[in-house]
Amino acid sequence: MKRAGYAVLAFVLLFGVGAPLSAHHSFAAAYDTTKAITVQGAIVQVRLTNPHSWFFLDVKEPDGKVTRWAFEAGTPSGMIRNGYKASELTAGTIVTIRGFRARDLSQNMGMLQTLTTADGKSYGMFGPQEGPAAR
Amino acid sequence: MTRASMVTTIAAAAALTALLALQPVRAQQRGAAPAAPASAPAAEPAPRMADGHPDLSGVWWTGGDVGGRGYNGGRGRGVRTGGPPAATFTSLYNPTTAAAAKQLGDKDDPTLKCIPTALGTLNVSLFDVGAVGQIVATPKFVVMLTETFHGFRIVAADGRPHREDVPPSYRGDSVGRWDGDVFVVDTKNFTDDTWMWAEGRVSPHSDQLRIVERYRRVDKNTLEIDATVTDPKVLTAPWTVPKQTLVLAPFDQILPLVCSGLETGPLMDAAAKQKAAEK
Repeated sequence: MKRAGYAVLAFVLLFGVGAPLSAHHSFAAAYDTTKAITVQGAIVQVRLTNPHSWFFLDVKEPDGKVTRWAFEAGTPSGMIRNGYKASELTAGTIVTIRGFRARDLSQNMGMLQTLTTADGKSYGMFGPQEGPAAR
Repeated sequence: MTRASMVTTIAAAAALTALLALQPVRAQQRGAAPAAPASAPAAEPAPRMADGHPDLSGVWWTGGDVGGRGYNGGRGRGVRTGGPPAATFTSLYNPTTAAAAKQLGDKDDPTLKCIPTALGTLNVSLFDVGAVGQIVATPKFVVMLTETFHGFRIVAADGRPHREDVPPSYRGDSVGRWDGDVFVVDTKNFTDDTWMWAEGRVSPHSDQLRIVERYRRVDKNTLEIDATVTDPKVLTAPWTVPKQTLVLAPFDQILPLVCSGLETGPLMDAAAKQKAAEK
């Protein structure tokens, strides 16, 4: 998908699809796991920091306005040892993120569950979902 | 997102709702899958240092890192061997501490501010909040390096007493001695403003916390850790930590990763205030 063509595919509030998460952190205190969200945009930064990594992306809305979103993922060491490389998902990469929205609706933030690139690579909270270290 | 744009995406939302509701969440599937056992090379004897004591050096983990193949947080939390459930640290709280703990929640978790725990989320002090740690051992000092918050403990191995000139700290002051092939580490002088664990496991302790660990390198690839925790200000009895069995990781250096992801704390604060307002 070309950058010029990216746009918000959907912003979805799904009630009733929440499920227990095998997450590293107590995510439920910050994120509403009954409110799933899907956002598409361009990666601005992938921050491999403790206690958890963050994915920042710019999402272009139908009216042309660009909104910055941030999604929390898992521990950076887990991501890296499961096969994630800092050289991938560089700025400008178009991705689709599925996750759960922050309970604080004043923030464009969420918890990442899956991230998919335009060429079909898939990542979870702890890095690539394929590869020798992924399970 | 504006209200108008929300409206325009209703159709797509409905379609995706159906799609997502029908699709299993892959990450959850993977998280729920039984952990693959770590590949276990034929046991070789534990290496020894020049003074003849076992060499504890190495990068240790449960068989993988969080979310990956071989990771075994269950092993890190100890293996049940039958009988009644063992007491937990928080089950031994005295009434005053139990009441105080009820006033705390996820948003108070010190690790949200990059403050380390006193023990560790998997009951392994070498890990602290993460799932990997490194030991660099010499006959004089055993240095324990945690990865997640770049913590360290420099444990004198000559049986010397605790120093009197160090202030209380998050990870305490440690001294060590050899008991045969077992390295015994005694840690005290903690602050009282962090937790035993992290990540939603509300577990305050006092400045009287004391942890005695026994490290035994069973063979080249296996490190066993037994520990006992006392805290007369908060516990009604000593807590026996479930035995930890770690394996040698296939790499010899932990990662240099900073801790600066502080966004979650404010999100939790806001959520807590919102919840309180709704009551």
